[in-house]
Amino acid sequence: MLTDIPVQTPRKPLPPPAPEVRRSARRKGSALVGTLLLAGALLIAFPFLWMVFASVKPRSESVAYPPALLPKRPTFDFYVELFVRLDFGRYLLNTLLIVVICMFGLLAMAAAGYGFAKFRFRGRSALFFLVLVTMMIPGQVTMIPSYLILDGMHLTNTIPGIALPMLVSGFSIFLFRQFMTTIPNEVIEAARIDGAGEWRIFARIILPMSRPILAVQVVLTFIAGWNAFLWPLIIANDPNLYTLSVGLSLLNQQLATNPSLQMAASTLMIVPILVVFVVFQRHIVQGFALSGLK
Amino acid sequence: MKRIRWVAAAVAAAMTVSLAACSSGGGEAASPAGPGKLTVWVMGDSSAHFDELVKPFTEETGTAVETVPIPWDSVDQKFTTAVASGNGPDVLQIGVSKLRTFADSGALLPLDDETLANHKNLASSNFLDGVAGDATAVDGKVVSLPWVSDTRVLFYRTDILSAAGVAGPPATWDELRADAKKLSGRGAGKFGFHVPQWDSALPVTMTRNFGGDIVGSDGKINFGTPEFEKAVDLYTGLYSDKSVPTNSDFDQVQGFVSGVTPMLVSGPYLAAAIKQAAPQLDGKWIVAPMPKAVTGTSLLAGSNLGIWKSTKNKDAALQLLDFLSRPDTQVKWFGLDGQLPTVKAALADPKLSSDPLAAVYSKQLMDSKLLPLVPNWDGETGKALLDALNAIALTGADRGQTLQKLFGATGNSSIN
Amino acid sequence: MKTRLIPFAFVVPAMLPLIAFGVLPIGVALVVSFTDMNLAGLGDWSQIEFVGSANYSRLFADAAFWQALANTAVFAGLGVPAVIVLSLVIALGLNRGQGRFYRALRSFYFVPAITGIVAVALVWGYLYNTQFGLFNYLLSLAGLPAVPWLSDPGVVKFSVVLVAVWRGLGLNVIIFLAALQGVPKEYLEAAAIDGASELRRTVSIVIPLLRVAIFFVTVTTVIAWLQFFDEPFVLTKGGPLGASTSISLFLYQKGFAASQFGYASAGSVVLFALIAAVTVIQLRVRRTDAD
Repeated sequence: MLTDIPVQTPRKPLPPPAPEVRRSARRKGSALVGTLLLAGALLIAFPFLWMVFASVKPRSESVAYPPALLPKRPTFDFYVELFVRLDFGRYLLNTLLIVVICMFGLLAMAAAGYGFAKFRFRGRSALFFLVLVTMMIPGQVTMIPSYLILDGMHLTNTIPGIALPMLVSGFSIFLFRQFMTTIPNEVIEAARIDGAGEWRIFARIILPMSRPILAVQVVLTFIAGWNAFLWPLIIANDPNLYTLSVGLSLLNQQLATNPSLQMAASTLMIVPILVVFVVFQRHIVQGFALSGLK
Repeated sequence: MKRIRWVAAAVAAAMTVSLAACSSGGGEAASPAGPGKLTVWVMGDSSAHFDELVKPFTEETGTAVETVPIPWDSVDQKFTTAVASGNGPDVLQIGVSKLRTFADSGALLPLDDETLANHKNLASSNFLDGVAGDATAVDGKVVSLPWVSDTRVLFYRTDILSAAGVAGPPATWDELRADAKKLSGRGAGKFGFHVPQWDSALPVTMTRNFGGDIVGSDGKINFGTPEFEKAVDLYTGLYSDKSVPTNSDFDQVQGFVSGVTPMLVSGPYLAAAIKQAAPQLDGKWIVAPMPKAVTGTSLLAGSNLGIWKSTKNKDAALQLLDFLSRPDTQVKWFGLDGQLPTVKAALADPKLSSDPLAAVYSKQLMDSKLLPLVPNWDGETGKALLDALNAIALTGADRGQTLQKLFGATGNSSIN
Repeated sequence: MKTRLIPFAFVVPAMLPLIAFGVLPIGVALVVSFTDMNLAGLGDWSQIEFVGSANYSRLFADAAFWQALANTAVFAGLGVPAVIVLSLVIALGLNRGQGRFYRALRSFYFVPAITGIVAVALVWGYLYNTQFGLFNYLLSLAGLPAVPWLSDPGVVKFSVVLVAVWRGLGLNVIIFLAALQGVPKEYLEAAAIDGASELRRTVSIVIPLLRVAIFFVTVTTVIAWLQFFDEPFVLTKGGPLGASTSISLFLYQKGFAASQFGYASAGSVVLFALIAAVTVIQLRVRRTDAD
C-alpha cells in the first residue's frame, strides 16, 4: 500500500542539549543576525514604503522639497479615481481567469520537471536544452511569430488565446527539474516495487515532497498571471477582455504622468500578490522531511 | 487513488474547455466588425469620453461604434501585430510621431480627393495649415486626417520675473537669453530657463525661429544651414551662460513650482500638471507665445485619424471621420477631454477664446509646424540631434567635429 | 502504458506550448535576420527580400552595438555576483527562524520583486533625482556634494545595477529558502555536537548541499543579466549618451521601435548565441564538477 511508504520517518531522537555556553552564544548570534536582517529588510522595503505613502499624498506634497516620507494630509482620492475610471470588476474577472488557466500550466510544468529529473530517455538532453533555449531570446522577438500562430489557430480575441503563450515557461520547468533531482531515487523505486502507477507516484509522492518549490512556483505563476499585460493587450480586440494591468496602463498619458495615481495603481496591484505570498511562504519554509530517507 | 482521478478529470476538463473556446472563439474573432458597427482604437483612457462624443453619430446614422482604448506606451506592439495578421480596427487614432511608421506600413487607406469628395468637413482647408493635407502626406499620399492638436508655448512665473526686475515675458530669444541670465543670478542653484535634454523638438523650433528649417529642398534632413548654427549658438549659449540646469533628470513640474526654473517652453499638459501640483501658485504664472527671432513658429503635435485599408466599412468610417471633424464635435471634445481642436472654426469658438490659456494655445497653433515626417524621428534623427547638442553643451565636445558627425548620421534621412 | 513512453507522457504536455511559443519563434527570427523585413513587409510578405548577411555586417560595424555589449558586460559583472551572494546570505539568515518575526521579514525582502516597473521607475527616479531627490538631500545633510546619479555616464551604470539587484533579490531568496528545506537537519545537529561553529557548518555542509539550487540561480541570473532591459529602459532610456544602453535596449531602440525587424532579429540571434555559449560553458563546468 502506498500509504505505508515511510515518506516521513520519525525523527531521530534529539541530541542531548548542548552545553549552556554554546546555547547562549547562539542566542547572541541570533539576536545579531535578527537585527541585521531587520535593518536590511527596512532598507530593501524603503522604496516600496515610499510608494505606498506617495499613493496617499496629494499632488502638491508629492513634489515637495525637502522630501518627507509621511503625508501631511493623506488622501484616498487616487484610489477612488482608479475605481471610478476603470471597469474594475470586468478586468479583475479576466485577470483571475488567466491566473486559473496558468495554474493548470503549472501542473504540466511540474510533470515535465519530474520527467527530466527522474527518467532517462532518448532525446532528454536535447529536449532539456530546448527548455533552456526558450529563456535565451528576448520577448520582443517571440511576440510576432507567437501572435501569428495564435491567429492561425483562431485564438485571437479569446481568453485561452491570452493565456496560452503564458502557460509554460522554461524557467519554471528548469526550476522543477533542479529540485526534483534532489528527491532520492529510493523513494520512487520503493513505490514501484509496491506496484504504484507512475502518475500515482507523481501525484502522491513527488508533488508532496516538492512542496517548498511548488509553493514558490504557485507564487510565481500567480504573479505572472496577475501582471499579464502584453498578451491581453495584443490578443484582445475588445476591451472586455482586458486585464487589470492593461486597464492601469491606459491611465498613462503620452506626456503628462500623474505620479500619485500610478503609485496608487501599483500599490493596488501588489496587495493580492502579497496576500498570496504570505499564505504560501509557510509552505516554502516547511519542507517535507527528506532527511530520514538518505 | 481518488485524488488522482480528480486531478486527471480536472486537467481533462480544462483542456476540453480551452479547446472548446478555441473553436467557438475562432469564428467570432476572424470576422471583423460587421456592417453597422465600427471598431475604433482610441489612445489612452479617453474611451468613455469618446463613447459619449459619438452617441449622436450612432443616433444619426445607425452605425454603432465600439471603442477600444490602447495604452500610449504599447501602441507599437498592438499596431505591429495587427499589421502582421491583417486584422485591424476600422478607424484608429495615430499620434503624429507615429504617423510616418504607420503610413509606411501600407496598412492605412489612402485618403485622396476622390475618396473625400462627398465629405465637406474633411476638406483640407478646414484644418490647421500645419497638419492639413500635404503637411501630413507621406510619399505624396494622405493616409490620415487631423483630429486633435498640441503645441508649445512659453510658461513663466510672473511673481519671480517681476521680483527679479524682468518687466514681462521675453518676446524674442535674445531677450529670453538675457532674462534667463539675470534670473539665474538670483543665487546658487537657481536658473532662468530649462532645456529638457530629451526634447528634440526644441532645437528644431529654434532653427525655425531663426528663419530656417532642418529639411532641404530635396526632402532630406539638412542641418548644415546658418540658421541651425544660430540655433546651436542659442542652445549651447544657454548652458555656457549657466542659465539652465545641467542634470538630465531635472523635473519640469518641480523646477517650475519651486521656482528653480521660472521660465520654460512646454505644452498644455504642463499647465494641467502645475494646476494639480501647486494650486496655491494660481495667478503667479501664465503662458505667452513662443519667443521670436525671425519667426515665432512653434511645434505642432497631436493626433490624426486613419482608416484601416482592408476595412469592410469604408463608407461608415468616412462618415465617422466627417462627424468628428465638425466644428461643434471638435469643441465638444475640447469640453469633454480637454484636447485642442484641429479645425480652425473650432479653435475660434468662444469656448476656447474665453479660456486665457486656450486662447494663447489657439493663437500659437495657427503658427506652428510638425516635426519632419522622417522614419523613426525619435530613435534616429532626433536622438542624433540631441546627442550632438548635449555632447557640445555638457561634455565640451568639439563643436565642428560633432556637427560634422551629425550631418553624416542624418543626411540620408528623407521625408519622402 | 509502455515503460518507454512514460517519460514522454510527463514531458510532452508542457513541451508542446513551449516549442510553439518559445522555440519556433527563434527559428523565425533566424530566417528574418537574413531579410530586410519592416512593417510594410510584415503586412505583405511579397515585399520582403533576402539580404544575405547584410544585417550582421551592419551590426558588427555599429559602434553603438559594441558600446551596448561593453555596457552589458559591466552590468552582468556587477550584478550577477551581487545578486547571488546577497540572496544566499539573506536566505541563510531568514532560514534561522520560523517565528512571526522571520515570516514578516521574508515578505519585506520579497516586496521589491513584485513592485511594478512603472512604480520602480517613479520611486527610484525620485530617489536618484539630482536636484530634488532623497539621496542627494541626505548627502546635503551630511555636508556632502550632490551626486549626478543618472546624469553621469560612469555613475549611471552603478545606479541602474543597484535598482536591478534590489528587484532581483526577492525571487532568488525564496528559491534558496525552498532549497534549504532539503538540507537534513541531522547533519547539522551532528556537526554541532562535534563542535563545528555555525559558520563552519554553513560553509562545509549547507552550501555544498545547495549546489543544485546555486547552479540554477547562477544560470538563470546570468541569462537575465545578459538580457538586462527594464531598469535602464524606464530610468534613463539608455542615456546619458548611451552609457546605460544594454544589448536588449539597443535592439529595442534600433529594431522594434523603428520596425526594422530584420536588423533587430540579427541582433537577437547574436545575443541568443552569446547567451547559449555562456550557458553551455556553465553546463559543462557543472558536469565535470558533479563527476
